[in-house]
Amino acid sequence: MTQTNETLPAVEKKGNVVEMAIADTSQFVTFYYDKHFFGLPIDDVIEINRTLDVTPVPMAPKYVSGVVNLRGQILTAIDLATRIGLLCKKQDQEDGKEYNNVIMGNREEPISLLVERIGDVMSIPTDKIEPPPDMIEGIDLKYVGQVCKLDNKLLIILNSKAIECTENKKQNG
Amino acid sequence: MGMEDDILKDFLAEAKENLELLDQQFVELEQDPENEELIKSIFRTIHTIKGTSGFFGFTTLEGIAHFAEDILSKLRDGIIKVNEDITTMLLQSVDYIKAIVAELEASGKEPVETEYLDFIVDLRNFAERIAKEASGETASSEEDEEGENAEQKEEQAVKEEVKEDAKSQEEQEDAQNKEDIKAVKPEEKAEEQPKEKSQAKSKTAKKAPARKPAPTTTHLTESHVRIDVHLLDQLMTLAGELVLSRNRLTQLANQLNDPEFLTANQRMSLVVTELQEQIMKTRMQPIGNVFNKFPRIVRDLAKTAEKKVQLRIEGAETELDRSIIESIKDPLTHMVRNSIDHGIEPPEIRVQKEKPPVGTLTMKAYHEGGQVIIEIVDDGAGIDPDKLRKKAVEKGLITEEQAEALSDREALMLIFQPGFSTAEKVTNISGRGVGMDVVKTNIEKLGGTVELLSEVNVGTTIKIKIPLTLAIIPALIVTSHGQRYAIPQVNLVELVHLNPKQMDKDVQKIGNSEFYRLRGEILPLIRLRNVLRLAEQDSNTLDEGMNIVVLNAGGHLFGLVVDSISDSEEIVVKPLGSHLKHIPVFAGTTLMGDGRVALILDVVGITSSAAAGDDSMKHGTVVSTKTVEDDHQFLLLCTIGPEEYFALPLALVNRLDKIKATDLEFVGGKEVIQYRGHSMPVIRLENYLPISPLPEQDEYHLIVFHMNHKDIAFLVSQIDDSLDLAIDVEEGTFKQDGILGSAIIKDRTTLFLDVYQIISMHDPDFFTQEELYAPVPARILLAEDSTFYRNLLSSYLTGAGYEVVEAEDGQKAWEIFQSDQFDLLITDIEMPRMNGFELTRKIRSEGGNKDIPIIAVTSLSGEENRQRGLEAGIDDYQAKLDRDQVLKAVADLLQKKTLETAA
Repeated sequence: MTQTNETLPAVEKKGNVVEMAIADTSQFVTFYYDKHFFGLPIDDVIEINRTLDVTPVPMAPKYVSGVVNLRGQILTAIDLATRIGLLCKKQDQEDGKEYNNVIMGNREEPISLLVERIGDVMSIPTDKIEPPPDMIEGIDLKYVGQVCKLDNKLLIILNSKAIECTENKKQNG
Repeated sequence: MGMEDDILKDFLAEAKENLELLDQQFVELEQDPENEELIKSIFRTIHTIKGTSGFFGFTTLEGIAHFAEDILSKLRDGIIKVNEDITTMLLQSVDYIKAIVAELEASGKEPVETEYLDFIVDLRNFAERIAKEASGETASSEEDEEGENAEQKEEQAVKEEVKEDAKSQEEQEDAQNKEDIKAVKPEEKAEEQPKEKSQAKSKTAKKAPARKPAPTTTHLTESHVRIDVHLLDQLMTLAGELVLSRNRLTQLANQLNDPEFLTANQRMSLVVTELQEQIMKTRMQPIGNVFNKFPRIVRDLAKTAEKKVQLRIEGAETELDRSIIESIKDPLTHMVRNSIDHGIEPPEIRVQKEKPPVGTLTMKAYHEGGQVIIEIVDDGAGIDPDKLRKKAVEKGLITEEQAEALSDREALMLIFQPGFSTAEKVTNISGRGVGMDVVKTNIEKLGGTVELLSEVNVGTTIKIKIPLTLAIIPALIVTSHGQRYAIPQVNLVELVHLNPKQMDKDVQKIGNSEFYRLRGEILPLIRLRNVLRLAEQDSNTLDEGMNIVVLNAGGHLFGLVVDSISDSEEIVVKPLGSHLKHIPVFAGTTLMGDGRVALILDVVGITSSAAAGDDSMKHGTVVSTKTVEDDHQFLLLCTIGPEEYFALPLALVNRLDKIKATDLEFVGGKEVIQYRGHSMPVIRLENYLPISPLPEQDEYHLIVFHMNHKDIAFLVSQIDDSLDLAIDVEEGTFKQDGILGSAIIKDRTTLFLDVYQIISMHDPDFFTQEELYAPVPARILLAEDSTFYRNLLSSYLTGAGYEVVEAEDGQKAWEIFQSDQFDLLITDIEMPRMNGFELTRKIRSEGGNKDIPIIAVTSLSGEENRQRGLEAGIDDYQAKLDRDQVLKAVADLLQKKTLETAA
């Protein structure tokens, strides 16, 4: 997990876009879950995939929905809402509601983040990005990296390291 | 013959890679001189170069590497600190090594210029000076000048000496070169051969051979190319994607229903499948590719060490992921070196020990439980755990108290500590305490484990378990709650399907536990749904009967109840992600034909998880570091009244049943019950044990035993559970007739019942009719470390009329044996201090009564153990709990002995 950056192949094509854009903006992949609007730095996202079949894993931590097969690689699927503490109607999942997969993280062991709806890729001037407020309703701040106030809503920029990290396996296992 | 070439090529390729890395690492080291990991890593690289060049006989290279390593070892041990001089010197060494490697690659020989020898001399002086500075730091300043003078003189002397050394080295080299020619020639031949072939193909080429400059072109015609594994990974991923696209296309084709399109799609489909299979194959290689290099290595190492070693290779066809094969090569070489250098004794000593003068080194590989196991077994001197303890204390790795507290098994693991070397002196072959820690790190990097088993004078087994990131195993696919799971075939014993009628008859649900009578044996049942905490099965599907997968979990059988059983398939094992790795019941995942994921079950994990139950997991059951694996046992737990808890080995139990209170009858002062057409005696435990009486209940539970061709039962209030546990009983408080001891199980004090004795107390004649093999009065020495089993064995042996003397381990037994006279020895195998094999061997070789019959008892049976036992001189081998068989074996052996002495 720690030493993977070195072994990554050259920056993806998307990366070039970043370089070409004006120096002081950052790009974010955005998505929705319930009424919240989230973003991940584009460099943390490997790809976006529509529905993949999630195979449930019994006895897994609560925030793990199961495993998915991404072209032969088996990834852990993490439910965004449960992971960050959003109080969501859990039965949605059992009703077979379809989720989108945001494949993120490092290349050694990417994970699939299940979100409701995918938004646009947004360029945001760096100076508009702020540290998170003391509290965001229903969200564990540990998973929030930064925020950005948009015209009509708040973009919550997630901390991908915290989402990937396995530290709380004990309390859930 | 090509082997040496191969090794040389590999060595050069690897050396070049490592040397590039070294440059970088040295620079880093200068900036971060305290970085131990870095020093260790550099040290290992140099060490490998030294070792391999020694193997090839490249003396100059070996010399440079040796002295560089010397300096590095002092850095590693913290004796000296990195400074610019040292780095410069080391960097120079690297430059020289590079030059030599380049020369080796070009000509296959070391350069002979004196420049190199001069450098060795410089390097050696430098190393000595550093060593002196380090040790002389405490010397007073007065001596400084003189000291320096002396030092200079000494240096001079050293220089001369080294020159002589170098000269003799040179001479040696000459001699070696002559030998080398043999080795080098094949290389040339190998290069020439393809050339000849290509020439043979076209006659024109033959006529004008000079036209083509051969050596470079021949390389290009090799049938193998090195490919970056990442590239293969990518190819595989892409193939996967192709399969998915194909699936989509097939769907579309079916919808459109255009015959031409369908045919085209079908053809493509075939090709895609084939392509995927072939790409998969590219990564799999038989481990023989590595093993095959060893005969030569072993031969040469043995020669250097003046030992005789015979190498046996088993399971060379076992397929392993290519990347794993690459990474285990070095660890394996290290271990083989260690075995030869430290393990196998010189022939003279072997003869003294009554072993064949030629030592045997076995390397074997096999798949087991979804892992690849590689074993390196030698029949050498073994490793003495006490020696290791002492050494570890001397080296300051652990304190004396810590050393005391270590079990033998743990003590053996000390060998994997960095900076630990058991060799009395530093030798050329195994070096100075790198080796085992490197081995461990490398294998752990692969996610594997190393285990070391050793017995003094018998040999050492190193067992490497590597999870197979990509290994292919046969597995049985089962379904539960709509999901598919794969069970590794190695654990599979048999499949049983019960119709509802059979279920009623043979499956007994008692408390939370279920049992099935499989041909008279009681088989604990575990429901996969319960283990995975899934919803209960619908009652209407229950009507269809029950599917039981009988599995073997490290010696115990149990039945796993699943919803349905599908096919057996070859599956490709893929690891679980880090969020899921800790779940004990899963060993990995695999992809099914339709692209969906199935989880692979870990059979051993299931038993432990089921045994611990949902909540009791946290309240550690009876686990003790002292108990050895061999004492694991399925126990039946039952209660009498609300407060009395009992346990007994499940293996003794024949059936479990429920009866109505009204069914109990009194006949002739004894309680009996009509059971399967017979009148069966029923025992109330309170009549024989000081416990509160069985409260009045409408229904009682029966634990039925079948012994000596008769049925007899215990009456209890409730049967609670069955557990797979390491038994560690305390005898003190509760030791009395009928009780073997007590232990805390699930937070409750539980008494272990002595079934045999209680039955004898109830009916002293119960066992007597079996006097077919009536015991001759005899004294038996019983060596057994587990209190539970010692009491159990002693109880039924005494009950059968023998006099029993107990010893709690092999050492104790040996002491008693020497001072007393016995007719027979019964010994456990796994015991602390001296195990059963050692004890047997000791008695057979030096005891006064060396022909004494010896029976080994174990809770596990294994052909391997039996074989070893017979080799050690054990007469018979029995399961501890099988009273009848043990008694029969005792009687038989005693009788045989009497006959022999009479004759």
